[in-house]
Amino acid sequence: MAMKGLKIKDKHIRSLANLLSGPKPILYHKEDLLAYDCDGFTIERHLPKAVVFPKNTEEVAAIVKYCHENMLPFLARGAGTGLSGGAIPLNNEVVISLTRMKKLLSVDLENRIAVVEPGFVNLKLTNSIADKGYYYAPDPSSQYACTIGGNVAENAGGAHCLKYGVTTNHILGLELVLPNGEIIEIGKDGIPDSPGYDLLGLLTGSEGTLGIVTKITVRVLKNPEDKQTVLAYFDRVEDGSQAVSDIISTGIVPAALEMMDKTAIEAVEAAAFPVGHPRDIAAVLLIEVDGISSGIEEQISKILKVCKSRNVREVKVAESERERARWWANRKTGFGAMGAISPNYLVQDGVIPRSRLPEVLKKINEISEESGLRIANIFHAGDGNLHPLVLFDARVPGETERAIEAGSACLKVCADVGGTITGEHGVGIEKREEMRFVFTDEEIVAQTDVREVFNPDNLLNAGKLFPTPGRCAEVKKELKASTS
Amino acid sequence: MLKALGTEMKSVIGEEKIIERKVEEQPHPLGNGGKITVLPSTEEEIAAVVKYANENGMTITVTGTGTKRGFGGTIEDADILLSLENYHGIVEHTVGDMTITVKSGTKFEELQRYLQKHKQKIPLDPAWPENATIGGVIAVNDSGPKRFRNGSARDVVIGLRTVYPNGSVIRSGGKVVKNVAGYDMNKLFIGSMGTLGVLTEITMKLRPLPEYESLLLLSFPKGGMEEIRSFAVRLLDTMLEPVTLELINPVLAEKLTGQSTYTLAIGFEDVESSVHYQEEYVKKIHPEAQLTILQEDDSREFWQQFYQIGPKGTDSPSKLVTEASMKIGVKNMAIPEVIKESVHLQDMYNLEVFAHGGLGHGLCQVHLKGAAQDIKSALTHLRNLVKDLGGNSVIKYLPLTLRKEMDVWGEKPSYFFLLEGIKKKIDPKKTLNNQRFVGGI
Repeated sequence: MAMKGLKIKDKHIRSLANLLSGPKPILYHKEDLLAYDCDGFTIERHLPKAVVFPKNTEEVAAIVKYCHENMLPFLARGAGTGLSGGAIPLNNEVVISLTRMKKLLSVDLENRIAVVEPGFVNLKLTNSIADKGYYYAPDPSSQYACTIGGNVAENAGGAHCLKYGVTTNHILGLELVLPNGEIIEIGKDGIPDSPGYDLLGLLTGSEGTLGIVTKITVRVLKNPEDKQTVLAYFDRVEDGSQAVSDIISTGIVPAALEMMDKTAIEAVEAAAFPVGHPRDIAAVLLIEVDGISSGIEEQISKILKVCKSRNVREVKVAESERERARWWANRKTGFGAMGAISPNYLVQDGVIPRSRLPEVLKKINEISEESGLRIANIFHAGDGNLHPLVLFDARVPGETERAIEAGSACLKVCADVGGTITGEHGVGIEKREEMRFVFTDEEIVAQTDVREVFNPDNLLNAGKLFPTPGRCAEVKKELKASTS
Repeated sequence: MLKALGTEMKSVIGEEKIIERKVEEQPHPLGNGGKITVLPSTEEEIAAVVKYANENGMTITVTGTGTKRGFGGTIEDADILLSLENYHGIVEHTVGDMTITVKSGTKFEELQRYLQKHKQKIPLDPAWPENATIGGVIAVNDSGPKRFRNGSARDVVIGLRTVYPNGSVIRSGGKVVKNVAGYDMNKLFIGSMGTLGVLTEITMKLRPLPEYESLLLLSFPKGGMEEIRSFAVRLLDTMLEPVTLELINPVLAEKLTGQSTYTLAIGFEDVESSVHYQEEYVKKIHPEAQLTILQEDDSREFWQQFYQIGPKGTDSPSKLVTEASMKIGVKNMAIPEVIKESVHLQDMYNLEVFAHGGLGHGLCQVHLKGAAQDIKSALTHLRNLVKDLGGNSVIKYLPLTLRKEMDVWGEKPSYFFLLEGIKKKIDPKKTLNNQRFVGGI
């Protein structure tokens, strides 16, 4: 309504504007659209047709219905922190930004649930209930900015999902707008086991290709009585990764078990949150255990013993909450820290069986040597989720392509040892072709068959997640070269 | 007809793996059977049978040992009863990765016993663990009181191999504990009642066996629901980490503990010092409580008994008395209301009712025994109560004749067309477990 009186030439934009309320509910000038041509995956960029900012479910449904009736491609976007290109408008989509639907709708601590709108920022939820001693467990590194709607789309993980699980383990209910504009509700009031196929589970991690989530019921948890954090420095990567395996096999389930290698340490120490890691060590482990106090002391002493038996150079327990927070800030800003030592970087997200860690790191090292590009490793060692960060300089001709190839080669290594190509960042645009490392054509069709049930016209976020049928590797390379 | 089927099957699978029903043999009173039983022992054989049936317009009922035979379905006999009883064993157990891949016909308790040697476990606690196969547990999404802390099948399964109706083997997920490559197809099959495919291999994440466990049985002789509720709220607001917070009705409590009072079963699993610390803490929250504490083996024994309280599909139903089970989902704090109603049902309909529900996970199981007509009335009564509470209810066990009279799944959800759409895509000919699921899927 607010757009009335303006001269908008495009009739669709005019119609969409009329479906919306609130100030500036639509962007359609090229200069305004530029900010929406990519997300956290910056290698590929495409302009949307328009960006709309609905305020509520009904407005989302009205836009979707309009797009559906007029065969306009569309997609949903949260904070745009996704790392695999899931919110990039490949087909000149109408981008439905959910950032104005950012309310915390209700908190029911007795039943341990909270209901949020999709644009509500992850960390805000924990901040809103922290005074009562509760928190929301999934904690992706971007949690200060990323939205819970985006977390649902990507099935986001985080450092603490080793013990508490990823987003899907904490989603109890969803309201969503289907690609034809119909509104449905699954898992009302967070009540478990709605009869029928587990659509909640299917939708979580479907990367915005099956529907647009407009309301989310999540589980919240009570803070543990106590937590302790350990930092351990190793001169050999093998010792560090062996310590990881040993810790797990003693029967401890740490809340987090993170690892960084030498190059990663160089970066985090050069960036905004240095903590004074020695520069000459091969690996640092950040280990956190939480639970009942009396149990924790026992676990910590076991962990210290394991580290010592694996030739740790130095190991220390955080002495204060401040120290602990510093260690975590250093780790959680690790990706961005690469900017301090390299003009560009590309982050990958493979997962491997924990026991194959030393062998995989060796192979990643070989890839680095072959490509002539440095690769830093930051990873959730406890659950085998690696984040190789390929460092490159986009100004050097050919280096971007080499970085993409090196990233893909890292994923191939992960797949070959029985792992997978993404643990928490999603497939998006980036890893479409790499899906073939883990799935047969038939298995991919089994998945697109499911998409057809929800999204038969493929107007919603088309071109994501799945490889182009029949397209061979050569064509893929050409395509990447021409778009970058 | 039977002869012809037998001959046909012999072209697909070895004769020794086919059991033809004797002419005088009656169909099973719980239904969900087959005119002919095949017992494949490899995935190839399973795929061959399924493919053959699908191509030739035959129907299949999938079964393990039959503990869930009374759950869902309105068909007495499909053409083929595909039993996975002879398809069992561990495919791969990577101790250091804490993952295991098993064949679906493996019995749950057998797996736990094996894992015990490695101080590990599958963090699930389904009913009838000695008999239930892991495939069945996953296919019906069975869970027990420990779901509060450990989660359910959807939190445990990380990979599946599934034989689709067309005979192809589709893998979903993988062997790693974190995985977002493609859609999370595992979730579709968990709890799908075997209506989409035949699960062959299941990969799960494991947890370490707790070093120590105990169980606090807290009696509430006054039986006031508000007292129970407010105690639970206080407990849940502490830093304690109970594994279970299960409310048990007096009749069931008497069977399990000898004391006929509402009882809360609060379990702790951790290192020993932490378990005892938490026991003491509970006493502080509720100093006047009547409390029994079962340590270690006694606790394990309690649970072992607990998992055998409901009706079992492998038993022939009694002709004298009818049995039924209902699974109810409500908000956590509505559990006491449902459990209290189960006690009313006993008097109203002259039934024996065992009921328990978790104040940490929101699920109740109500097992009823009595005359068929009374059972039906009681189930309807419960269903209406649950509807008023905004919850959901599914009848998990009922003889076939009664299943034909009342829809065990209740009302279809508003998004039923999506469920139906998924079924049609994957199993358009309705070859697998036809009519076993919601809305006759």
